[in-house]
Amino acid sequence: MKFHWFNLMPWPYLPDDFTEKHRSVWVDVDSRLFDARKANRIYNDYLDLLELAEDVGYDGLGINEHHQNAYGLMPSPQLMAATLARRTHRAAILLLGQSLALYDPPTRVAEEMAMIDCISGGRLISGFPVGSSMDDNYACGVNPATLREQYHEAHDLIMRAWKDPDVFAWNGKHYKLRYVNLWPRPVQNPPPIWIPGGGSLETWDFCAQHKYNYSYLSFSGYIRGAQLMEGFWQRMETLGSDFNPYQAAFAQQICVAETDAEAQRLYEKHARYFFSRCLHVYPGFADAPGYRTEPTIRAGLVSQMAGQSSALNQAAALSWREMIDKGYIVAGSPDSVAEQIEKVVDSLKIGHLVCLLHFGDMPNDLCRYSTEMFATKVIPQMRSKWKGYEDHWSPKPMALQDRAEPRTVTPFPTHSNEPARQPVAEVK
Amino acid sequence: MTLSTITVGPARRTVHYYRRGNGQPLLYLHHMLGMVGFEPALARLAESFDVIAPYAPGWGPAKDQLEDIDPGPLDLTLHNVDLMNALNIKSAHVVGISIGAWMASELAAIVPQRVMSLVLVNPLGLWLDDVGGADPFAQHPGMPSEVLFSESGMRKQFLFEGRDKMDAHVEELLNLRASAKFLWPIPDTGVIRRLPRIEVPTLIATSEHDTVVPAAYGPAWRDAIAGSRLTTIPNAGHLAELEQPEAFAALVRDFIRAHAMPAVA
Repeated sequence: MKFHWFNLMPWPYLPDDFTEKHRSVWVDVDSRLFDARKANRIYNDYLDLLELAEDVGYDGLGINEHHQNAYGLMPSPQLMAATLARRTHRAAILLLGQSLALYDPPTRVAEEMAMIDCISGGRLISGFPVGSSMDDNYACGVNPATLREQYHEAHDLIMRAWKDPDVFAWNGKHYKLRYVNLWPRPVQNPPPIWIPGGGSLETWDFCAQHKYNYSYLSFSGYIRGAQLMEGFWQRMETLGSDFNPYQAAFAQQICVAETDAEAQRLYEKHARYFFSRCLHVYPGFADAPGYRTEPTIRAGLVSQMAGQSSALNQAAALSWREMIDKGYIVAGSPDSVAEQIEKVVDSLKIGHLVCLLHFGDMPNDLCRYSTEMFATKVIPQMRSKWKGYEDHWSPKPMALQDRAEPRTVTPFPTHSNEPARQPVAEVK
Repeated sequence: MTLSTITVGPARRTVHYYRRGNGQPLLYLHHMLGMVGFEPALARLAESFDVIAPYAPGWGPAKDQLEDIDPGPLDLTLHNVDLMNALNIKSAHVVGISIGAWMASELAAIVPQRVMSLVLVNPLGLWLDDVGGADPFAQHPGMPSEVLFSESGMRKQFLFEGRDKMDAHVEELLNLRASAKFLWPIPDTGVIRRLPRIEVPTLIATSEHDTVVPAAYGPAWRDAIAGSRLTTIPNAGHLAELEQPEAFAALVRDFIRAHAMPAVA
C-alpha cells in the first residue's frame, strides 16, 4: 500500500462572510482577496510541508493544476514539481495534472515532464487529467465541444513524442507540427501515467485500454466514492482487465491527533473552512455544455462540482461526527484513523491513497503534527496491505548511486586586484 | 408533422428537416436549442410560404455530425448550399434566429445569389465590449437553457412537456454543446467583416427581454448591413419564435411581402 501527501494549496484568508458576499471561489473569484506578500509565505510553507512529507516517509508528493481558484494556488504544477525535483531525493513526484488541452503545442507537456524526470532521476508520475470545466472551459477558454478531442489528440502526440526516436510530422485535427523531436526525453520512458478524474465512463475505458492508473480526486469522501469506484472496477472487469489495486488511487481528507476529541478540537474549524468556503463554486461554472458526454449524462454521473454543490453544501452543515460517519473526513486518534483508513482501502480496493492532510486554512505547524502522526502511527499499520500485487504505477527511478544530488557550489575566491580565475580549466 | 431526411453534398450528409406550405421558399435556420417539432410559428409561416426548416449539423437528430464541421462559417454555409441544391431551391427567403441568424447572415454574405431576403432575429455573432450579454453557457447544469427564456417555467413548458425527461435534458445539453462549438467562449464569429457584402432586403429584430443578445446589438447589425431595417419584438426572450409565435410570423411575413416580393400585376 502506498501513501501520497497531497496539498491543494488553498488560500487561507477567505473572509468569514465569503460565501454570502461572493458567488464563487473559482473562475470569477474576487482578486482583491489575494495578497502577494502573504502568498510569499504561503507558497514557501506549503513547499516546506511537501518536503517534510518525504522526510517522514510518504511515497509521493502530490501537486495539481487549477486556474483562477482560491482553493488551489497552483496554475502551474510543473513549477512546484521543479522545486521538488531539486529539494527532495526519494519520493515520487506525483504531478496530477497538467490538463493536456491547455497546452498548445502539447509537446510542451512532454518537454516539461521530461525535464522534471531528468532532474529528479526518474521520480515522476505523470498525471494526464482532462481538467475541470472551471479550469479548461471557463478560466482557459477551451471549447467544451472539442475539449475531449483535443485531450485525446494531445495524449497521443505526447506519448509518440516520448517514444519515437525519430523526427516526425504531426498532422492532427487540432495540432499541426512539422517537426516533432523531443529534447530532452524522460528517464522513465514513459513515466507511470495516472488519469485523475471525477466520474466519466470514457475515462474508465481509457484507463483500461492503456493500463493507466485511475485516480478519483473526490472531496466528498470514501463512502460516496465507494459507489463510483465500484462502477470503475466493474467496468475494468467487463473490459477484461485483471484486478490490481495499484491501478486505482483515491484522495481523502485525513487528520490525526492524540484522541478523537483532540482531533475535533484541532481540525474541525479548518474542515469547515474547506467545505464551506473552498468549495463554494458557482454551479454555472461546473459543467459547460459538452464537457460531459451523452453516455456520462445518461449514466447520471455529474461533474464533481455540479454534484458536490449539493453534496458538499450538506457537508458544511453536518456535525463533526456526521462528517466522519459519512466519510467526508477521516479523523481521530491514530487507532481510530487506522480503522477508518482500512475501510477506505477495503471499500474502494485502492493501492494508492492520496492523503489530503492539509485542508482549508490549517496552519503549518498543525499540519506538520497531523502529517507526522499519520506517518508514524497509521501508515505502518497498513503498509503490508495488498502484498502480492505488483505496483506498475509507481516510478522506477535511477539507482541511488547513479543519481545526481544537488551540490553546494562555492564561488572561486576573487580579489579586487587580480583578474577572476577561469573556472573551466579547474573543473577537469 | 414528421421530419423528412435528404442526403446532401459530397460528404453525403443526412439532413433532417420539416417542409410544409406553398409559395416562395423560406429557409428557417433555428436557434441554439434547435426546434421543438414543427413549431406554431413555422406552421403560421407555412400559410404564406414553402417553409423548409432543417436541423443544422450537430443539433437534434444530427448531433453526431458536429465533429465533422469546422467552427468557422465556411462548412456551415456550404452545407446550407448543398441542402438548397438537393432540394432544387435556387433562392429562398432566409430567416434565422439566434445562432441561426448568424448562419443566415453568412449565407447571404457568401452566396448572395441564393438569398432573396434576410430576417435576423436576436442574431448572435457580434461582440461589443460595452454591451456584453448574459453568458448562454455558464448556467446551472440542471437548467442550462433557463437564461434563454423571459420567464421561469417556460423552459419546462416548451422543452419538457410530454417528453421523456432524460431525453429532453440530453438534447438540451447537446444542442448547447453544438452552439458552443461555434460561439465559445465569446460569440464573436468575425461576421462583422462580411456583413457589408449583404445587399438583399434585410430586417433585424431584437427581443425586448433577451439578455443573451441585448437590444443594443440591433443598431450594430443594422449599421453593418446597408439599407437594413431594425425592429423590436415585445414580451419575448431570446427564443422569440417560441414565446411569441404570432408576432414572430407576422413580422417575417409582413417584411417579406412589403420589401422582397414583386408587386402582383
